[in-house]
Amino acid sequence: MLWYKAWLETRWRFLIGLLVLVCSAAATVFTYPKVLQLLPLVPPEGAGGELGRRITEAAALARTYRGFVWSQGFGQDLMRMVTLFAALLGVGGVFSGSSGAGSLFTLSMPVSRNRLLGTRTAIGLVELLVLAIGPALVIPLLSPAVGQRYAIDEALVHGVCLFAAGSAFFSLAMLLSTIFSDAWRPLLVTLAIALVLAFCGQVFDGSGEGIFGLMAGDVYFRTGALPWWGLAISAGTSGLLLYGAAATFARRDF
Amino acid sequence: MADPLTIETTGVRKRYGGVEAVRGLDLAVPAGSLCGFLGRNGAGKTTTIKILLGMVRPTGGAARVFGLPADAPAGSLAIRRRTGYVSEEKDLYDYMTVEEMVRFTARFFPRWRRDLEQRYLQRFELPLVARVKALSRGTRTMLALLLALCRGADLLILDEPTAGLDPAVAEDVLQALVAHVASGDGTTVFFSSHQIAEVEQIADRVAVVDRGRVVVSGLLDDLRERYCRVQIVFDGAAPEAAFRTPGVARVQRTGRVLTVTSSAGAGPVLAEARTLGPASVEVVPITLKDIFLESVAAQRED
Repeated sequence: MLWYKAWLETRWRFLIGLLVLVCSAAATVFTYPKVLQLLPLVPPEGAGGELGRRITEAAALARTYRGFVWSQGFGQDLMRMVTLFAALLGVGGVFSGSSGAGSLFTLSMPVSRNRLLGTRTAIGLVELLVLAIGPALVIPLLSPAVGQRYAIDEALVHGVCLFAAGSAFFSLAMLLSTIFSDAWRPLLVTLAIALVLAFCGQVFDGSGEGIFGLMAGDVYFRTGALPWWGLAISAGTSGLLLYGAAATFARRDF
Repeated sequence: MADPLTIETTGVRKRYGGVEAVRGLDLAVPAGSLCGFLGRNGAGKTTTIKILLGMVRPTGGAARVFGLPADAPAGSLAIRRRTGYVSEEKDLYDYMTVEEMVRFTARFFPRWRRDLEQRYLQRFELPLVARVKALSRGTRTMLALLLALCRGADLLILDEPTAGLDPAVAEDVLQALVAHVASGDGTTVFFSSHQIAEVEQIADRVAVVDRGRVVVSGLLDDLRERYCRVQIVFDGAAPEAAFRTPGVARVQRTGRVLTVTSSAGAGPVLAEARTLGPASVEVVPITLKDIFLESVAAQRED
């Protein structure tokens, strides 16, 4: 029954996230014909400066359907939205109701705090997995509608990358929710950290090995190799954050 | 042989930052009793209850329920298996319907009483399909009470069960509680309140808490017997007598009158009063309210 409770508490965030992500994936597919029409307008030499370089790079990627899906979908829209919904799913922690309503009732039940946290974490991670894999699979499913093909296994790998990196933000939000008693600070702090990491990734690291590089499946797109180290580090980080959440939750007074 | 204790705390302390909410609280609640935990707002009642249920960890002392340590995870789990609880805020899941709430709770308690569930659903007229969020405060309290009573618990801990209810609903809650205890399965009830009248109405035992300490505790009848107030009237101004008789809780001097509150009967106070040459001495009956107010006042003067 704890599963049912966790599902009831997170279902709207999950369903809204699924709808938004599926629409975003579909939009990526259906905008490709328009992008193809616009490509000839991009000057082959490109404009000067950083902006010009980026436009040229984007245009180069968009010349292939695989490159466009990666750069627009997995590398931008889906990545950002999975980050947002991972944080939203983690917020509230064990007591996902508004302002922790029902927390004392839950704590009066004959259930250990570890089991409460474990169940909530498992439900949240399953929902995140669906949010990451489901929209990724929409792309190969809809691609024939615009006369293109996209490999299912490639979509799956990108979905796994989205999930693995997204789980770190989910776990961070869970940890912060065991520290703060309101829902806003965990969300805002998680998103602020995500913004800082994205900024650092843009400024200091062009190798695609940061968390957002992993989330976009950068290495996989460019080399075809699975980012095992990135996945392992992400899983380890999530594990540590969740361990911290369990330790904090076990000590906390209500 | 004395009844075994369902609740026993020894020197329990709880500090939140610079504030000590509970300061060496000693409490003993025998099995099968209906104990009122009386205190003003902020006296430490809710914190004590949360300590008993493992929601708050004490910073000192020991709290045991059914002989199990309340602050140990395994002990707390075993305690909660045998305990029904209603929180002060009647904290429930707003997004569930009444029926979902009942089904959800029942799954955690193997001794769930289906017969009581049906009885209380009817008696409290709870709308099964209504969301908890939509319930009035009174109906919400009734649902919280049902969820506690039907657990088949050996101990009911109720934190201000009638707080915020109109007198008619509050009476319903108290009557349901009394009827449940009277059904004779030996359930211990520990309920906090700052309503002296309701404690007096249903409790057989009382513990008065003030500033995080139990200042008076015992069987209600014993307290009424032991506690008394002696009014000593003098022809002139009342003397500043110290009253060294054991059990004197408080001495008040107002003009020609000395009022002595004793927790050890009137006899010794009367004997000492007569040595002061009074114009008249009278033993005045004392109520639980008087006991409460005198104990709290005496605690403040200390």
